[in-house]
Parts: sequence; structure tokens; C-alpha cells
Amino acid sequence: MKHLVTLLVLAMLFVLPVVVLMLIGLAPGWRFPHVWPDEFSPQAIAYLVRNHERILTSLSSSLLFSMLTVLATLPMCLIPAAVFARVDFPGKALVEGLLLTPALVPPMTFAMGLHYVFIKLSLTETMLGVVIMLAMFSYPYMFRALVAGFQSMGEDYRMCARNLGAGPLAIMLKVELPLLIPAVIAGGSVVFLVAFSEYFLVFLIGGGSVDSFTGTLFPLLSSSNRSLAAVLTLIFLFLPIALFVIMDTTLLRLYRKMQMI
Amino acid sequence: MSSTSSLILKLSPLALPYLALFCGGVFLTVCQSFGLLTPLPYPGGMVDAYLELLTDSSFFASFVFSLGVAAVSAASAVTIGTLLAYRIWKLPGRLATVALVYKIPLVLPHIAVAFVVLVFWSQSGILASAAHQLGLIRSMTEFPNVLYSGWGIGMILAYTLKGTPFAMLLVMAMLVRFDARQIQTADMLGASGLRIFFSVVLPRLAPAMHTGFIILFLYSFGAFDIPYILSESRPGMLSIQVYNLYFKHDLARRPEAMAILTIMFGFAVLFIVAYSKVVRRLEDGVRKL
Amino acid sequence: MKRTLVIIALYFTMTAPTGLYAQTADADLAKTPFSRIEEQARGSQVSWYMFGGWAHVNTWVDTYVAGEMKTRYDIDLVRVPMDAGVFVNKLLNEKAAGKKKGNIDLLWINGENFKNAREAGLLFGPFAQKLPNVQQVVDPDSIAFDFGFPVDGYEAPYGRAQFVFEYDTAQIAEPPTTMAALKQWIHANPGRFTYPQPPDFTGSAFIRQVFYAVTGGHAQYLAGWDPDLFARKAPLLWQWLNDVEPYLWQKGRTYPQDSAFLDTLFSRGEVGLGMSYHPPHAQNKIIEGTYPETVRTFVMQDGSIYNIHFTAIPFNSPNKSGAMVLANFLISVDAQLSKYRPENWGDFPALDPKRLSPQDKRRFQAVDLGPATLGPEQLNPVAVPEIPADYLEAIEQGWRDHVLNE
Repeated sequence: MKHLVTLLVLAMLFVLPVVVLMLIGLAPGWRFPHVWPDEFSPQAIAYLVRNHERILTSLSSSLLFSMLTVLATLPMCLIPAAVFARVDFPGKALVEGLLLTPALVPPMTFAMGLHYVFIKLSLTETMLGVVIMLAMFSYPYMFRALVAGFQSMGEDYRMCARNLGAGPLAIMLKVELPLLIPAVIAGGSVVFLVAFSEYFLVFLIGGGSVDSFTGTLFPLLSSSNRSLAAVLTLIFLFLPIALFVIMDTTLLRLYRKMQMI
Repeated sequence: MSSTSSLILKLSPLALPYLALFCGGVFLTVCQSFGLLTPLPYPGGMVDAYLELLTDSSFFASFVFSLGVAAVSAASAVTIGTLLAYRIWKLPGRLATVALVYKIPLVLPHIAVAFVVLVFWSQSGILASAAHQLGLIRSMTEFPNVLYSGWGIGMILAYTLKGTPFAMLLVMAMLVRFDARQIQTADMLGASGLRIFFSVVLPRLAPAMHTGFIILFLYSFGAFDIPYILSESRPGMLSIQVYNLYFKHDLARRPEAMAILTIMFGFAVLFIVAYSKVVRRLEDGVRKL
Repeated sequence: MKRTLVIIALYFTMTAPTGLYAQTADADLAKTPFSRIEEQARGSQVSWYMFGGWAHVNTWVDTYVAGEMKTRYDIDLVRVPMDAGVFVNKLLNEKAAGKKKGNIDLLWINGENFKNAREAGLLFGPFAQKLPNVQQVVDPDSIAFDFGFPVDGYEAPYGRAQFVFEYDTAQIAEPPTTMAALKQWIHANPGRFTYPQPPDFTGSAFIRQVFYAVTGGHAQYLAGWDPDLFARKAPLLWQWLNDVEPYLWQKGRTYPQDSAFLDTLFSRGEVGLGMSYHPPHAQNKIIEGTYPETVRTFVMQDGSIYNIHFTAIPFNSPNKSGAMVLANFLISVDAQLSKYRPENWGDFPALDPKRLSPQDKRRFQAVDLGPATLGPEQLNPVAVPEIPADYLEAIEQGWRDHVLNE
């Protein structure tokens, strides 16, 4: 009974909105006082079909810069995270606190200052510029996850590998990195989501030339065509979820395989 | 190689971009707020922008209002998130998989969450329609004016809805490592369910809750996506004011936008320092008991 | 504002040499015959930055315009959604940073944004007179001024808009058709009217219409900015707006952020009257399914503001030839006709009917605007021109001080 209440609350908070979005997507004329739409229309779906090329382009662009951001944060954080997990040095807490600030303070505060410099360096309107900016405020999530990963791994594997004669690079690549995969996935997922759902920074630095799905979605969400906005939001929701499911299953398979060998 | 320089070298993949881009970016923002290094030479004095802001009563109103919206939404997201996470943790295995639906709003962008709140809570929204069907109200004007009350309730609802799963995620990570035997012990010693939650479980979850609160609070304080859809004419949110100053006015008002950003940045840093100090003192106090 | 612009101008004269190269190339372009420009543009890509909040307009651009540009000129059209105020700012930033090769080729722009862009030297031109279609089918007088600011060939016409109101015939029998009647209607129907908060385009235009109506007409303002006249007349406007404020939606405590928000309120029946600067707006919304079929359009008999909207080319456009070809195509009879059809967009043509061949004229007359859109015979008699942009800024600032924060 108690569990039922829990599930009901979860459904009301998190599933109902998605159901309502679907209904709005299918029924543009749904309005007060109807609790259920009295008429359905494929308008929004038709728009989707007509514009599938453009929508797919912006989706893949979003996907690309989000992935690149994850890939950029990994080498940034890997060695520093190992240091933070293993070495004690004076002022460590302070440095760690400082390194986490980019995720905490409003990103506008440094992005707007950098904007002008990025124009000077011709980094605006480029994928590179967008990725640098996104990596700069999302890396703390990767960093935290990696520090936790190194801590839970402990020193034993490294010692063992070193005793067996492995060099530091080989230890990192062949021993530690595979063990870190869960931490990388955890941190990478958050970085991916942060980058994928970011509108403002991509808009500021990308200047419209770097396509993004949020850039397509944003003008429509604030417009009065709610049906279309709802359908695009659902696509937005679907893609990362599908991605995570695929990643989870392939990883599971990979792990099984590794154990078999 | 000395240990210090090796340490610096090892930290450099993070430290260099941090110094160059983050610190550099903040530095430029601060400079521009003083009218230095602006895209165009700024004719006014160094502190003109700040004087302009500090003498504007609507700036203070916006500042306090933004703080209030951020604090209330972060506090409710952490509270609801912790309770729900605890309840999910107690679910039997198969149901716990179903409970993963809580991750949905994590994926939704903020602006879409704002859209959902609009659809549910406006006077002609889903809830109003439901109330009408149930005979609670006769016309839409009788539905409580949630979104335009002047208290920012719409934004608070949206931030809470978006923040709750985030808080749940953090708390769940703590709970996974939590030893269920502690609860069994307390149970055997005759503690009530409520008592167990407050004196055994909650103290363990506190670090995650504090982290969640800081992140959510500062995000809501500075972000502009949700206010873009749900903010009211007065009082406005600071982030909207910055956006308008940056994009919708000419370059002469750039220092003003940057001054607001500088004040926001200073506040955020002060807040992090003060909050962690207070928390540490509280925890020390608890430990002494 | 003025002071800034002077500074901007000074700054650019100081840094002029950086712009010199571009200028010579641009000067060459002015001498090149249009057929040659079309040839140059073949196989190139044109980026068109425009407001992206109207799905049907986006679709029209992405399908019809992009398709025709490809088949006729082998040009790839890239539409980028961005608000006009934002791209003007982006160009300002780029100009200040000395970026000579930008990435915007064509802008959809008018009014104060055009004035700001022009005064800061952000636009390439003059180019409009070079476009064959502008020479053939546009009345030069109709595009001499944009919100009272001289166009001087720095913009090419694109469409014509006029301010209309909307109501649902299922709810309201007789809508008020003068500002005086509107005031009475608002008092009689508390909570059922509101207007978007300036600087929203539509809300700002609504206030200008009130300004015309309560201060004795538009003619007195067209001579240019007169601060004394404004100081004398403006209190009448504030009084009208403050008189109705307590009877507005949410008791006037808050206003819709933009016109899309008002559309939503109207479509859900929270307010009884809608408004738009685009005559086919209601018809579009009916086709889209957002408005009930029973919605109709009406105009205020004491004046309905119209304007021409334009396209312009930024100073640092990487493909000015391509931009000119696109601007020329947009003002062609074919494009204007396609744009006029309500199922595409319904935007009114910026062409001069007298310059059209009888056959083309018939093609325009044959377009069925749909039951919710008023025809030229209802719109033209009440059409009044836009006010000079200085008044517009004074009114928007005054609204903040005297209505919102009073």
C-alpha cells in the first residue's frame, strides 16, 4: 500500500507531464474546460515529417557537440582526478572548491566576458568554440565522478601492475581506465545532458551557425504553437534516453564478454 | 623534479583551462563592468554602472526576488527529493526499476519544464479543467491565480520539478552505500519509522542534501531559461535583466549588464563559502554531542 | 542613445583602414550588372537570419523559398532563427571586434532595429535599387521611409503588415471598433483584455495606436521628433492606459511577455480580444488548429498602423551577391504571391498593384484569404503610417516609468 502511494506520486510528478505533452502534440485545439481533447489532428506530426531533414540535422549537431564535450572533459580531468584521489597537499580543499566553481556560478558570468575574446580569436560560430565553452562549465561533473572512481578503486591494482613491471602510461590505459568506465559513464552522462540541453551558451558562441536542437526548440516553446513545441520536446526527451539504454546494454554485454575471456 | 612541480604539472590539464578561460572570463566580465576593455570605448566613469544599479530600487527588488525564488525552490526540491529517494530505496527490487521514471525531468531541458508548468497551472490549464469537471469551480477565473500572483510561484514550481530528480539522484547515490542493517537495528531497538528516518537516515544523507541545495540554489539564481517563459513583469528576475541589457540594448549599457553579472558572481562565491562554513560548524556541533 | 551612436561612429572612423578592403570589393559590386551578380552567386550558400517563432513561416522559407532558390539559382539557403534585436547586437559585437568576414548574409529587419543597425554602420548598401524586381514592381515612395527613418536603399521590401484585432464570434457579438469603445468594453469586461509588454513589437504598436487615437491623430508626429509636442501629448496616453489598467487581465499587475503569450491566452479563452501586427494571423492560427474556427479579425476605425518589413545585408556578409539574389527573389511576383496565400503565410505583398500586369493582378485577386482575414478594401481605408522611431523609444521608456512602475 505504502509502495503504491510512492509509485503514484512518482507517476503524477514525472510521467503525467509526458502523457500530457503527447496529448497536446496530437490535439492542438485542446482547451479549457476539457480534461480530454475532443478532437485529434496530425498537424504537428505532419510538420515533423515535412521538416524531418532540418530536425535531424540539428539533432545530430547537438549530439555531436555534446559527445565532443564529453570527450574533451575526460582528458582534462583524468590525471588531476587521480591526484586529488591519492595525494594530499596543502590547500587541497580550497583548490578542489575552486575547481568546482564553474559548475556552480551562473555560466553567463564568464561566458559573456569571454564572448568578445572568442570573436577576436574567430572561435565564435565554430563547433570548437562551442565545445570549449561547454566543456568549461560542465567538467566539474566529470571531475567529481572520476575522483570518486579513483577513490573506490584504491591503490591495489596500480601497485600490483607496477610490481609486475608496467609503466605509468600502461597502468593508466590498461589497468585504471577500464576499471574507471562506470565512473566515466556516470560523469559523462551528466556532462552530456548538460551540454545537450544547453541553449544559451550554444546560442551565444555558436551564433546560429552551430546548429542545435535547443535552438530549434526554443523559439517554438515560447511561441503559441504548443502542439509542435510538445512534439519536439518529446523527441528531445527520447534521444538521450535511447542513447543511455543502448549504452547500458552494450556495456553489460561487454562486461560479460570480458569476464568470459 | 620536485614534488611540487610534478603536482602542478599533473594538475595542469585542468588548471590551465581553468585559469585561462574561467578566471579570464570572469576577469573580463569584471573589467567590462568598470567600463574597461569594452568592445567600444566607454565614455562614463569606472563605477557609473554600479552607481546606476545601486540607485535603482527595482534592482534591489529583483535581487531579493531572485534570491527568494531560488531559495524556496532549492529547499523544496531537496526536501521532496530526499523523501522520494528514501521511499524508492525502500521499494522491493522490481518496483524500484519502475521508479526509474524519476529520471525523466533530468533529461528535459529547463524551458520544457517551464512549458509543462504553464500547461498544468494556468487558469485555463489541465488542473483548472479538472477542477471544473469535478465541479470545484464554475469558470476559469475562479481557479487560483498561481502563475501571476506576483510571488514567482510558477518559476518555483518549475525549478522544483526540475530540481527534485536531481536531488534524488544525489541522495540515491548516498543511499546505495547505506547499510540497511542500521535501520534493522534501530527497528529492533523499538524506534518508530519517523524516528529512524530523522535520526538514523537523515544525518547520513545530509552531505548530499547540502550539495544539492547549493547547486540548485545557485542555478535557479542565475539561469534564464525558466524565467524567460514564466517570469512576470514586476518584479523581474536578474537573469532576464542581464539578457535584455546584453542583447536588446546598445553597447553603451554593456557595463551595466556586466556589473549585474559581477554582483551575481560575487554573491555566488560568498554564498558557497558561507554555506560550507555554517554546515561544517553545525556538523562539528553535532559530533561534539 | 544618441551619444553612443556618435561614439560608435567616431570609433569606426578611427579604425577605418580595417574596413577598406571590404569597401572596394563592395563598390565593385555596385557597378556589376545584376545578371553578373546572379552568375557569381550560382552554387553558393546564403545564410538568412530571421525571427524563428512562426512555424508556418519557417516551413514556407524551408520548402518554397529554399526549393526555388535551388532550382532557379543553384543557391543553398540556410535559415537561422534569431530575434532581430539579437542579431543587430551580434553584428555590433563583430564590428567592434573587427571581424570582416561574418556569417550572416541576409537579415529580416525593420523599424528601430534597422535604425540602430544603419546608424552604427552595420549594413551594406545601397543595394535595393539594383534589384530588378524592386525597379519593376515596387513603388519607390512606399519604401522611402521605415518608421520615419530614411531607407536610402539599405533595405529591400519584403512584405506589408497592418495592425488588427481578433475576437471569437462565439463569445462576442459586437467587438469595440474605436479606442473609446475599447475603453468602455474593458471596463465592462474586467480581466478580459491585456496587451503584450513593450518592448514587445505588438504591444508597442498597440500603444502607438492608442497614442494616435487619444492625442488627435498621426499627422502631427510625422514631421519628426518634437520633444515639446511629446511632453504635451503623452500624458493623455498614460492616462488612458492607467485608466484601463485595473481592469486588465490579472488586474494589470502583470503583462504578457510577448505577443505569442497573448495568443496563448486568447486561444485558451483567458482574454476576449487578441491582437496582431499581421492581418492573416488569426487565419494562420485557425489553420494550425490553435484558434477556434469562429475567430474573426477587425480593425480600429480611428486608425490601424501599417508598415513595410524589409530585408537587409550586413556589412560583413560573406556572400553579398547571393544575399542580393535572395532579396530580389523575395520581392518577385511569384514569391510575393506564394507568401500571400494563407495556407503558406498570408503576408500582404509589398508590391505596387498599379505596376503589375493585368494577368498578375488577377492572380493576386484570385487568392482566397480565408474567412478570418480582412481584405485590402477593409484595411486600406483605416491604414495609418508608423511613427518616427524616436517617438517609439520615448513611448516605450515612458510606458515603463508612467504605467508599469507608477
